[in-house]
Amino acid sequence: MITFTGVTKRYGDKVAVDNLDLTIRSGEAVMLVGPSGCGKTTTLKMINRLIEPTGGVIAIDGVDTATRDVTELRRSIGYVIQQVGLFPHLTVSDNVATVMKLVGWDRTRIRARVTELLELVGLPPAEFSHRLPGELSGGQQQRVGVARALAIDPLMLLMDEPFGAIDPITRDRLQDELLRLQRVVRKTIVFVTHDIDEAIKLGDRIALFSQNGRLAQFSTPAELLARPASKYVEEFLGGGRMVRRLSLVKLRDVPLANGDNGTADEVVPVDATLRDALDAVLRSRTGRVQVRDDEKVVGTVDADTIRRASQ
Amino acid sequence: MDLIRFILDNGDSLIPQTLDHLQIVAVTMVISAATGLTLGIVASRSPRLGEGVLGVASTLLTIPSFALFSVLTTLFIALGLQIGDPPVIAGLVLYAQLPIIRNTRAGITAVSPSVLESARGMGMTNGQVLTRVELPLALPVILGGFRQATVMIVAIATVGAAVGSPNLGRPIVDTLQRSGSSLPILAGITGVAIIGIGADTLLGGVQRLLSRGRITPEHLP
Repeated sequence: MITFTGVTKRYGDKVAVDNLDLTIRSGEAVMLVGPSGCGKTTTLKMINRLIEPTGGVIAIDGVDTATRDVTELRRSIGYVIQQVGLFPHLTVSDNVATVMKLVGWDRTRIRARVTELLELVGLPPAEFSHRLPGELSGGQQQRVGVARALAIDPLMLLMDEPFGAIDPITRDRLQDELLRLQRVVRKTIVFVTHDIDEAIKLGDRIALFSQNGRLAQFSTPAELLARPASKYVEEFLGGGRMVRRLSLVKLRDVPLANGDNGTADEVVPVDATLRDALDAVLRSRTGRVQVRDDEKVVGTVDADTIRRASQ
Repeated sequence: MDLIRFILDNGDSLIPQTLDHLQIVAVTMVISAATGLTLGIVASRSPRLGEGVLGVASTLLTIPSFALFSVLTTLFIALGLQIGDPPVIAGLVLYAQLPIIRNTRAGITAVSPSVLESARGMGMTNGQVLTRVELPLALPVILGGFRQATVMIVAIATVGAAVGSPNLGRPIVDTLQRSGSSLPILAGITGVAIIGIGADTLLGGVQRLLSRGRITPEHLP
């Protein structure tokens, strides 16, 4: 758990982060989102003390980070940045092994862990371990960056616009892989992005910052889209909020209409999202769709069910 | 033909002179590598520090070598130290600083900020960033400076013969003072040229071998 209590960062007269209170729970992915200069990156870098706060306290599991040895603190937190920052003179393997060497693991253990990590991020070790970063594509480099950050299995991962410089198709794939990875490793992830759609896709919760380094809203993506706290949040989210929210809500989590009265002519599984359900409703001739959990019918859904579930 | 005959006939003096020359260059470069690298690292820490250190090193290079060697020899005599090669080595060390400091600083400051940020972010201490990231990455550029310094030192060392260093400058200086045949001058120059070209080729080869993935002189602005 990471707790910000009254954290402020000032550069001269300029306030980058203004009296921030924020609690990030263990194992959740929190997205820090906002326009350029809103303090989201500053907030992230204060966690591993690449930037020291002007005031306030940042605690990890109750321990004030200012009291910890900075080297030891950073080694316990994975760090991924947009420009990746791989060491260009070291092979993929050696890059991934860097922190393991810093903390003094033996060679056998390092070799096994590097292999495991490269497989985890989808880079077959036989093909990639001896390449230099310059011989990899941008997407492959960032996979190495993620593997390097996970090296000694830190509980936390800080990611500063990790997919910001990657082409849209590869970015989409890397986002899917991060979701898959997160299901396996369950890290506390703090992720900075200016892309609200990326935040909605990847975040368990979103901390939306406004221009002046203040927190405008902190809630789940679904909540954010359904109930923006201010005009600013609404504008930042952009159009089509309710439609975008559909893919975040599962049928399982909304009240369905009771049993099938025989008019339903399409079927969706209960694990489908409201978006899938709406798609089926639009396809059906009767406007009613049967919801099934395996073979068992658990209810039906129509346009009205979806509308009510969205409010 | 005459030159080859002269060289073969005068092996008794030319061989020890060549060995002395090699020794002067080797000792100079070992000392200079240590001092130049240290000062280069210092110079890379801040622009102001860098300009200061480079300014001093550049000024040293403007002192005529004959004058510097003479002053140092006088100083060594006053201090009761051995003269001949030692004051010459001291002077050459001063000359070798500029290329090594300049390249060390240029190589280190060329390391990309994102590489440094990720190094610090993963918990490297300042010392580890220097020894594991900055110096390895800057190595080809640093070697480039070392190579330039070596070639320069091979040439300037000959002037040291004028203050009693028994190196390959000896036949040149002796002949200039006595105005005899030009063959000893050519023999000295030939020896110096062979050492210079040899050192340059060797260090250039090492530099190329180490360039993979690192910052090379071509990367610098």
